[in-house]
Amino acid sequence: MTTYYGLYGQKVQYLASDPTDVQIGQVWYNSTSATLKVRQEVTVNAWATGGNLNNARSGVGSAGTQTAAIGVGGFTNDYSKKVESYNGTSWSNLTDFTSPIGRTGLAVLGSEPATLAWSGGDGVTYPNAVFLYNGTSWTTGTNMPIGRSVATGSGTQTSALSAGGYNDDGQPGQLNTCFFYNGSWTSTGNLNTARSNLAGSSGGTQTAALVFGGQPPTTATESFNGTSWTSVNSLNTGRQQLAGAGTQTTALAFGGSPPATGATELWNGTSWTSNPTGLNTARGIPGTQAGTQTAALSASSNYPGSATEEWNTVLTLNKTVTVS
Amino acid sequence: MAYKYCVAECWGKGFITHDDSSKFQVSGFPGNVWQIPANSQDANLWVNKVAGSWKTKAEAQAIVDVEVTAAQAAWDALPEEQKQQPFNRQRPTAIVLE
Repeated sequence: MTTYYGLYGQKVQYLASDPTDVQIGQVWYNSTSATLKVRQEVTVNAWATGGNLNNARSGVGSAGTQTAAIGVGGFTNDYSKKVESYNGTSWSNLTDFTSPIGRTGLAVLGSEPATLAWSGGDGVTYPNAVFLYNGTSWTTGTNMPIGRSVATGSGTQTSALSAGGYNDDGQPGQLNTCFFYNGSWTSTGNLNTARSNLAGSSGGTQTAALVFGGQPPTTATESFNGTSWTSVNSLNTGRQQLAGAGTQTTALAFGGSPPATGATELWNGTSWTSNPTGLNTARGIPGTQAGTQTAALSASSNYPGSATEEWNTVLTLNKTVTVS
Repeated sequence: MAYKYCVAECWGKGFITHDDSSKFQVSGFPGNVWQIPANSQDANLWVNKVAGSWKTKAEAQAIVDVEVTAAQAAWDALPEEQKQQPFNRQRPTAIVLE
């Protein structure tokens, strides 16, 4: 019979409690719990709760990174102008954005001190207003040629892509139109599938982007090369009001409705893989969200709420093997 | 899978950690109701950590129902044109705990 001693020339430590300062690959037997244990580096993808928003609301659009994010607008009992910044631990109130009416479901790109926001719904019109933040105050940018709500985007404050959205005021409702923003707007290739409440690779660039899901509930995924959109492999779970993070080749999709789901999927440049676990609280999340495929932030709720969740991928754990 | 339920207020960072989520699935519902696997020692320890108050499934369902009913009433009170807006969530639907 093959033994551990025969393979490695030493016996497994027999201990009453787990040792301290354990090294990767170290094996021991815990006589109290009757378990054989090994210290192993295990890659895990999981959500955890983050600091709560100061102003509870749904439909908060966010941008930036998991540890330096901005959350703009939303809805509580009315359309919100509230803006908050996140430092990886807690949210702080910033200057409200400048608008007669608040917005929900905003597309937000850039970073905490250099933010671009557009296409949020105000309950009255399909707004074409653009909002710019410089770390201190908000100004308005050049209006979009065609107003819309719940679009998505990719890029930065000064070099952005807007995709899809909704406008039934002289428009077909679900939109396939896309625009570049470089201080002013110019049209570019249309989506193959018109939709709103879609998500995108918010951390991508103006000329290398991915969009996925949307309303009506769809699994459709499309990739942009700076000129045109190509349909690629679909999401495993069709949904609208989902959120996205990451880039064209390393994207993350999470949340959505109906019904509210916490489903989380990872894109490797070719196909989507469902993570075994999803958001701790299932939610539809209209509006862009911050982060990357390995460190993302969900700062919005299905119901007006303050819940924030953080997504990370690498943990080191002790693997325990129970022996009889 | 069998589940157990508790009520606990999420205080934010550290309420559910990545380590917690890697060991068991915690699912949140309206009314601060949390669902955990019935046969998980790690999940039981988590309920202790968050000072959760154990609830039977019927008690947890009643709490969720109250919250959903209130959310439905709030949605019903919205002006009709706002209900049609694509950025507004759908009318909250009933949640049946497993």
